[in-house]
Amino acid sequence: MRSGTIALSVMLIAGIVAALAIGDVMVSPADLWRGLWTREGPGALTLWVIRGPRVVTAIAVGALLGLSGALLQSLLRNPLASPDLLGFNPGAGLAIIAATSFGIAWPAPLLAAGGGIAAAVVLVALTWRPGHSTSTLTLILVGLGVGFTAAALSSFLILALPASQALEAQRWLSGSLAARSWAQAGQVWALGAVLAVILATQVRSLKLMELGEDLAAGLGLRVERARWGLVMMAVLLAAAAVAAAGPVPFIALMAAPLGAALTGARTPAARLLAAAAAGAAICVLADLVARAAIPGVQLPVGVMTGILGAPYLLWRLSREMERGGL
Amino acid sequence: MVVATLLVVACALTLGVGARGVGPAELWRILTAFDPSDPAHLTVASIRLPRLVAGLVAGAALGMAGTVMQALTRNPLADPGLLGVSAGAAFSVVLGSLLLGRADTGIVTALVFPGAAIAAGMVFALGGGLRGDVGAVRLTLAGAAMNALLISLVAALVLLRSESLEVYRFWVTGSLAQAGQRPLLAMGLVVAATAFLGLVLAPVIETLSLGAAMARGLGTRLMRAQAGALFLVTVLTGAAVAVAGPIAFLGLMVPPLARRITGHNLRAELVVAAAIGATILLFADTIGRLLLAPAEVRVGVMTALMGGPVFIWIARGLKGGWRA
Repeated sequence: MRSGTIALSVMLIAGIVAALAIGDVMVSPADLWRGLWTREGPGALTLWVIRGPRVVTAIAVGALLGLSGALLQSLLRNPLASPDLLGFNPGAGLAIIAATSFGIAWPAPLLAAGGGIAAAVVLVALTWRPGHSTSTLTLILVGLGVGFTAAALSSFLILALPASQALEAQRWLSGSLAARSWAQAGQVWALGAVLAVILATQVRSLKLMELGEDLAAGLGLRVERARWGLVMMAVLLAAAAVAAAGPVPFIALMAAPLGAALTGARTPAARLLAAAAAGAAICVLADLVARAAIPGVQLPVGVMTGILGAPYLLWRLSREMERGGL
Repeated sequence: MVVATLLVVACALTLGVGARGVGPAELWRILTAFDPSDPAHLTVASIRLPRLVAGLVAGAALGMAGTVMQALTRNPLADPGLLGVSAGAAFSVVLGSLLLGRADTGIVTALVFPGAAIAAGMVFALGGGLRGDVGAVRLTLAGAAMNALLISLVAALVLLRSESLEVYRFWVTGSLAQAGQRPLLAMGLVVAATAFLGLVLAPVIETLSLGAAMARGLGTRLMRAQAGALFLVTVLTGAAVAVAGPIAFLGLMVPPLARRITGHNLRAELVVAAAIGATILLFADTIGRLLLAPAEVRVGVMTALMGGPVFIWIARGLKGGWRA
């Protein structure tokens, strides 16, 4: 194992332990360890009831977003591609808010998937010009606009909710992991596992696509079909995360570059794994800081990823600028 | 002419429409023969009139700020709300009132401008403005990132003080609902003075929209012209935030409309942009009050609903002439 891979694993594990141990009530790792096996003592309550489900959900949400961002960045060959900038996350969020305000009680992941796919379809329909290939930058700008519109519709619909639900919905919309149950954690993990298995079958096409489309077609890949399959996968991965934690911004943007930079992974499969681990680590740590940085105040995790992620995006833009990519 | 008529209609609707409807004849009587004992007269004078003034001040300011910003950056997607300038002003106010422990109009007035100035300067620099070459995509994304950062910080600070949902909403998406508590007169004067300055500076700023090389060739002192334009954007946006909170997309929608009417003449464009900005904002506010009555849709949400599709439409058209 390379040292970078070890560093990433240590970061993830240390993040998880810290997220379990730190809070209004401090619990030592030893107590946590005892609580894990005996289900007794101060560690057990924290681990099994209070912080456990939240941290476990955060791991899955971060990993799903990381995978989604990695796929899109690889497909569009642009480090600025991510489901939040392209409008998929706001679309998924809108679908869930809309269902709440119209009293439709469908399962959240289904709604989120529908909203994410709708946003992607709108994006493609708006940028499609027969005979022209759309530049990635146009795609990102129009996606940003789709996201703006979806977010505006969401805040409009929130106003129609009764006051008690409105506050909750507002927090959810900025991305929140507060008060998760094991049932919710189980749901996002189960969905994530299914999606990961399907993704594993697509890794080969991703690898071929990276050789260039002509070569991939020459090697027997049906390029268009593979591309749409992968885009759909990216949307579904992001939607599963949104269903569990709301449209948390910027994790998908940061995870893949961080994972790749740390591990130096080259093959698509390794890069996807690194992105998932990095996404999970970012999400767990951001949630920890959001929850525990200021005693007595719980911020939504999305506020923290916004504070972390926006400077990253600015830095990335200046990098792209130097390289002449923008 | 059409713009002026629409503006008058928008003003009349702002005064007349609401839970207690007031007809045009009654409105005329309120203006000419005010009767303090009549509740309808009182409603209009104490609630809807400040609202009207706030809408006029904020709308005109944002219309002009957007126009100057688009000329400065040569980017049809530039808008003080989307590029984080409004959020910078809001952040400065929220941070200041947290540190100082009070949130009166004096604090608001003192803090909106430095906040807007820092955000405007930063986003212009980050977007590549210092190299005299502001790419549309780069500037828009840098602005979106700045905006996301500042809005997150505002949200964090407001939640930190565990303020009410109403306060949170005001500083994240603007509203005209609390117009009575805002420094209307002071900001109205500031906007008027800045508008005058804008008319004076317009020819210089106009050369900027030809591109850095061309502007230099015409003898424009680039840094000065840019600084002047940034100053205008800062003060206009700050004033708008002080009366109405951060309102996005208005500065995006107004300039293309104004340009259609005036052609490429920045001085005329600024005048028309002020009128159109106020008109759109007042219409948006009135519709927002009617849509979910008795609940009220904040005007910032209404402008975002209208502006999202406009953003998409403009972004789709970007190509060729706009480098990246």
